[in-house]
Amino acid sequence: MKEKELVSKRYRKRSQLGDIFHRLRKNKGSMFGLCIIILLLVILILSFFIDYNAVTATDLANRYQGPSLKHPFGTDDMGRDMFLRTLYGTRYSLSIGFGATLLAAIVGVIIGSVSGYYGGLVDDLIMRLTDIISSIPAMLLGMVIVSILGGSVVNLIFAVGICSIQYYIRITRASILAIRGQEYVEAAKVIGMSDLRIIFTQILPNAFSPVIVTFSATIGIAILVSASLSFIGLGVAVPMPEWGALVSSGRNALRTAPFVSTFPGLFIMITVLAFNVLGDGLRDALDPKLKR
Amino acid sequence: MLFAKKKKIAPTAGYEEKDSDYVLEVRDLVVHYELENETVKAVNQISFQLKKGETLGLVGETGAGKTSTALAILNLVPDPPGVIKNGEILVNGKDVRSMSPMELEKVRGKDISIIFQDPMTSLNPVMTVGEQIAESIFLHEDVTRAESFEKAREMLEMVGIPGARADEYPHQFSGGMKQRVVIAIALACNPRCLLADEPTTALDVTIQAQVLDMMNDLKMRLGTSLVMITHDLGVIASICDTVAVMYAGQIVEYGTLEDVFNQPMHPYTEGLFNSLPSMNHKEGKLKPIPGYMPDPTKLPEGCAFAPRCRYATKDCSKPLKPRYVSDTHYVLCDAYDNPQFHIELQRGGEACE
Amino acid sequence: MIRYIIKRLLYLIPVILCVSFLIFALMDLTPGTVVDSMIPSDATPEMVEEIYAQYDLDKPMVYRYAKYMLQFVQGDLGKSDISGENILRMYLDRLPNTLLLAVSSLFVAAVLAIPMGIRAARHAGTLTDNLTTVATLVGMSMPSFWLGLLLLFLFSFKLRLFPASGNDGFLSYILPAVCNGLTMMAGTTRQTRAAMLEILHADFLRTARSKGVPEKRVIWKHALGNAMIPILTTLGSNLSSSLAGSVVIESVFAWPGVGRLTAEAIMSRDVKLACGAVIMTTILYVIMQLIVDLAYAFVDPRIKARYIRTRKTRRKAA
Repeated sequence: MKEKELVSKRYRKRSQLGDIFHRLRKNKGSMFGLCIIILLLVILILSFFIDYNAVTATDLANRYQGPSLKHPFGTDDMGRDMFLRTLYGTRYSLSIGFGATLLAAIVGVIIGSVSGYYGGLVDDLIMRLTDIISSIPAMLLGMVIVSILGGSVVNLIFAVGICSIQYYIRITRASILAIRGQEYVEAAKVIGMSDLRIIFTQILPNAFSPVIVTFSATIGIAILVSASLSFIGLGVAVPMPEWGALVSSGRNALRTAPFVSTFPGLFIMITVLAFNVLGDGLRDALDPKLKR
Repeated sequence: MLFAKKKKIAPTAGYEEKDSDYVLEVRDLVVHYELENETVKAVNQISFQLKKGETLGLVGETGAGKTSTALAILNLVPDPPGVIKNGEILVNGKDVRSMSPMELEKVRGKDISIIFQDPMTSLNPVMTVGEQIAESIFLHEDVTRAESFEKAREMLEMVGIPGARADEYPHQFSGGMKQRVVIAIALACNPRCLLADEPTTALDVTIQAQVLDMMNDLKMRLGTSLVMITHDLGVIASICDTVAVMYAGQIVEYGTLEDVFNQPMHPYTEGLFNSLPSMNHKEGKLKPIPGYMPDPTKLPEGCAFAPRCRYATKDCSKPLKPRYVSDTHYVLCDAYDNPQFHIELQRGGEACE
Repeated sequence: MIRYIIKRLLYLIPVILCVSFLIFALMDLTPGTVVDSMIPSDATPEMVEEIYAQYDLDKPMVYRYAKYMLQFVQGDLGKSDISGENILRMYLDRLPNTLLLAVSSLFVAAVLAIPMGIRAARHAGTLTDNLTTVATLVGMSMPSFWLGLLLLFLFSFKLRLFPASGNDGFLSYILPAVCNGLTMMAGTTRQTRAAMLEILHADFLRTARSKGVPEKRVIWKHALGNAMIPILTTLGSNLSSSLAGSVVIESVFAWPGVGRLTAEAIMSRDVKLACGAVIMTTILYVIMQLIVDLAYAFVDPRIKARYIRTRKTRRKAA
């Protein structure tokens, strides 16, 4: 009897995941996004074989060279090869985007679960605090935090992450409020499960899909915000080839050498686009309301 | 005010009647919903006519094609996926299908209007009910905006809602009140023909009776023709002159109220009556019709009811022809080829009383 | 309704206090302030202490905050550490430029994006719809600074239609507005499409058509009227984020607005100016969100009713 149940449970689980993947596969856009993201990961891995010295090596004789076979993306104001720099920069945007979103998701989900599960004064306090943080524009908060901590990858992850915690707090709290009163949670309490265990084994798995959807939606925003911060000079600093900083480095020579800014910007756009379309597809695949 | 309205209508109505005896004529209507890999045959070759002041009941189960018929009459079948494949729909002698969008807009709401099933969702939540009634009047009649609002208030009074509530929004009304508002919208321009698509299904029983009474009363006073679409035989008995029993997109039996209720001919009609609880045979069990409606994407050859029919023979898969019992009564059943055939149910006009 | 607005405005006070405290506290942590640079290298500990006392640095941070807020309420944000100018003056001088940019790009976005979104929703699944979807996705993924640079290169350097930077006359204002507007349009079009798709199958549209309402009116009055809430939300958040995010676009086009003021203050470690500017922008941001909330009541009577109902119940209770 028990074995049978186990088998049916496993079967259901797989079919549900398979169902989601099947729906995702039918969505051409999200498949395109997924391919781009995989391609970016390949570039990321390959970029570890690039010598950092080659990336920062200046060659003042060859400043602002247009795209050529030797320098596919041209060279910048110090004669550095933009192709290598742009590829090398993949790691910053991806790690900041992913790291900040992951940080926000983990912290936000925990705070949101506590808030939703305990309710009462704790909930009130957390939600008021969330309201206050979210009433500071993300860009400004990011600027302030970076200006205090200084610009580095870790600090940017922290600054950008803080700005998107609120989404996860709200969404987790909402799902938990919807689930909290259900019989199976009561049942778990009756058999003496600890609060922590109930949250992690009974409640959170059900709040999973909105978190996933938010995750893919905010990762694009995180990349854009961090690139913007670097662009205005408050992020990863030159000579480290962060994409936003690379675009910024081409500003002064926009008239004569537009390619310096163009290629890194294109990379930002394609990366964000890939996450956005994948997020769209995930939302459609996970949202039962849209199942048709 | 009502009196004045009547006077205004009478001469025009008399004049137009020369063009066509019928307010509404439907001939060989076919409505399909063409989905990606299948076609739902919702309405298959139905025809009926409606005289001035007459009330026709369209009765049948959910999915029999009643609503599609009503939408087709207004040329409102959602397209895509719905298509009116065939047929003529003459409103005052003019074919709805060949009208331009402009002409259609003139006919809708003015010559013919409709009351939808669910009053909860058929009103626009962000417009006041007064606005929604006045909109129709303003569009169709030669009045100023202020006059149209004044008239909207009068319409509300007519359906039993204080005119002062015209400035309120739908969410401030109860379900029964909303349905009254929907009726007021439908009647706002004194249409010659009104289609009522299950107007009482979504309402409580007590409210149902009120709304039906009101509709009957308004119909008498305004001389409107009415197509009452319902699955409720009680509603049919209380309000209709003629009855069309629909099954799987076809009219299987058609006749006056007396014809159909006193002398039902089609096995499906018999099944419908047998599914009703009856005061006279309290001890007896209900006799539901076995099985379900056929899948409208794969209708059987010949008689669509045959798979559920207890009188069915193998001849039932042949194409059907309507068989006239009298001038006013026909049935779509080939069993009557055999002159000895009759259905078991014998009714003594019980439901009519 | 008015009481509700007043209530919401009063609710803003604690929010503003907390936000300003948070920012003040963060700014207070900033290393390497101007005060530190004022201390001569050969200063004795007594001299250092004297300077610190002069700036209240020997007192707890809360004290400095309270003092700051007291002056703030009186409209005195202090003087810039660097230029010595009145901070409120500086901010208010720049504010119209930012507002002009935000409002005009909002206008451009609303006028173009809503019809585009409606069109896409009505022809869902067709080529028009797919092209719109792709365009909005690309638009949303484009970093605004990069778009700005592309526009600059094309229209300013290649075609020589507009000046590249600064604020002299109408022409210089077009490129930043277009850049900001394009970014806003993407989100708004997308939201309009999604909202309209949900509404287009509503029963009450069928009712409207059955009354003989012309299709144009069915879409623009009946359907759009009901889809307005999510569209307003997007427009509102666009407006407020373009107020805050103006940092980037103003930096690209060298547009003298509050965003650039803030960025420059932070970069030059002008803590007082940065703090004042960030707090001011946040207050504007919060007020903007309140305006959007209030606008909901005007497009949806059900929301308005909720406000009025609270008033009625209170009157009954009293």
